Amino acid sequence: MDGERRVHPDCINASNPYHECVEYCFKKIAEAKAKLEKQGLVEAVSGQSRESLADKRIEEASSEEEEEDEEDNQEPQVDVTQLTGRKKKLYELKVKMNEARKSNQTDVGSEKKKMEAPTEPKGISKQKWVEARQKKIGKILDANGLDMSKAYMLDTQEAAETKYKKWEKEPTPSGWDVFNQKTLYNAYKKRTKNIQVDIEEYNRMRAADPEFYREASSLQYGKAPKISKDKIDKMAKELHDREEKRQEFSRRRKFREEKDIDSINDRNEHFNKKIERAFGKYTLEIKNNLERGTALPD
Amino acid sequence: MVSVCEKDSNLPRPTRVKNKSPAAVQITAEQLLREARERQEPEVLPSEHSITDSTELSDYRLRRRKEFEDRVSRGGRSDVQVWVNYARWEESQKDYARARSVWERALKDHHRNHALWVKYAESEMKNKFVNSARNVWDRAVYLLPRVDQLWYKYSHMEEMLGNIAGARQIFERWMNWSPDQQGWLSFANFELRYNETERARSIYERLFRCHPKASSFIRYAEFEVKCGEVSRARDVYERATEKLEGDYEEAEMLYLAFAEFEQGCNEFQRARVIYKFALDHIPKGRAEELYTRFIAFEKQHGDKQGIEDAIVGRRRTL
Repeated sequence: MDGERRVHPDCINASNPYHECVEYCFKKIAEAKAKLEKQGLVEAVSGQSRESLADKRIEEASSEEEEEDEEDNQEPQVDVTQLTGRKKKLYELKVKMNEARKSNQTDVGSEKKKMEAPTEPKGISKQKWVEARQKKIGKILDANGLDMSKAYMLDTQEAAETKYKKWEKEPTPSGWDVFNQKTLYNAYKKRTKNIQVDIEEYNRMRAADPEFYREASSLQYGKAPKISKDKIDKMAKELHDREEKRQEFSRRRKFREEKDIDSINDRNEHFNKKIERAFGKYTLEIKNNLERGTALPD
Repeated sequence: MVSVCEKDSNLPRPTRVKNKSPAAVQITAEQLLREARERQEPEVLPSEHSITDSTELSDYRLRRRKEFEDRVSRGGRSDVQVWVNYARWEESQKDYARARSVWERALKDHHRNHALWVKYAESEMKNKFVNSARNVWDRAVYLLPRVDQLWYKYSHMEEMLGNIAGARQIFERWMNWSPDQQGWLSFANFELRYNETERARSIYERLFRCHPKASSFIRYAEFEVKCGEVSRARDVYERATEKLEGDYEEAEMLYLAFAEFEQGCNEFQRARVIYKFALDHIPKGRAEELYTRFIAFEKQHGDKQGIEDAIVGRRRTL
């Protein structure tokens, strides 16, 4: 039998047959005792020697739940700076868990909102607003003894003028006509608005060049003048900007999930879209008949 | 002994259908399609392969070039986009000589396609090869002088580069082809951008010599009004009235604009005179718009007698 080892019974390494308590051990024991005294768990003191981190976690969690003292609430704040090793890790883990829980909750909430139908603005749906307005107009018309067809009589001067303006405006070209002469000219005009005009340089060049106002057949055509590098860069940059703008020319349509699927493939879907665009209005009746199962006797 | 039954043993035995009434829930065609769609296997794409070596790079380029050449020789006649993709890829590989050769080959077949010319020139401009771009534009404009877009972009390029005299020469060249009104207007606006009002004026003069229509006169007058030269605008209108004696439709538009201009100058007596003159000269059937405007004008600025005269005069013609 070995002689008396210098092992404190409260030391966590007491069970180790070769352990001998040193000052570090005593410090640890003191800290543990102080903590336990604060928590007030007498049983924990005796079972302190062989606790794993998990047990500690459960214990402390349960202890935190049991005690709703201010002391308990104060404790984490006091201990943050003094936490060492395992306790610090525990604290950090708890913080992470809390954060994860919070973000999960917010994500669940936002997903739920997305899945449901979007709430109507101002609490009234557009349809109801339209119906309410029509009723209102109808009432006023009846008061004046007018028919619904004369609803325009109720317009003010300004409203009437905006309506006229809208009628006079040409409809924007669409489809194959998008790049007709007028639109190309308008595009060019827009680009010229962004040209930075340097009058001084212009005057300088005018003074320097005897043939500044040259005819179409002037022989100066072949001679390439010195162009400064930054002008070239500006030109290249403008072209890049134009290209980016071109990307936004067609917008991506929203994908509607509830619409019927009539394709087996992405290529098929694309083809069906094109066909629908071209022949949709002519085959509408046929499609409805097929959907119904029988044709209507018209 | 091989019996018939054994041969068919792989297939399930055909059972007799007992209940021939339709099931409560029928499958729809749409459901079938949906299932077919869901069971699609994802497309098999070639695995991502990063290039680590110069030999690998040249192999990759060789492979891509071969692909493009195949596509081009197959599609060929009709599809310009294949050529464009090929040329753009060569540019992305920084091989500009090859890119140029691809563009030129494309142009050999599709020299009438103005979009192709535009793309070629813009690619040269983007890569900052200014003289090559000039070359391309010059050829394009020589071959397709009636396509306005080429002229717009060419002159815009010269203007962006600060070569104003060059831009002017291009415009002059274009005007020799007598383009439509928009071309002339863009030239005039170009001059105005550099505050050359005298030259702009001369351009407008040339415009209505080229296009003796009411709209050109009206534009000229609007330009004068914008410059603040009201008397000149009046001169323009008067010259226009002399020129457009014969053509009634044009004259009607012109008179309307002239009267509006005088109204804008607060010269109501003159406006009245113009309206009366116009109504005398234009056959009554064609002058609807004039009458309505005249009546509106009288209601705004005239006295009772004048309004009555106007309305009675109109009634008489209807």
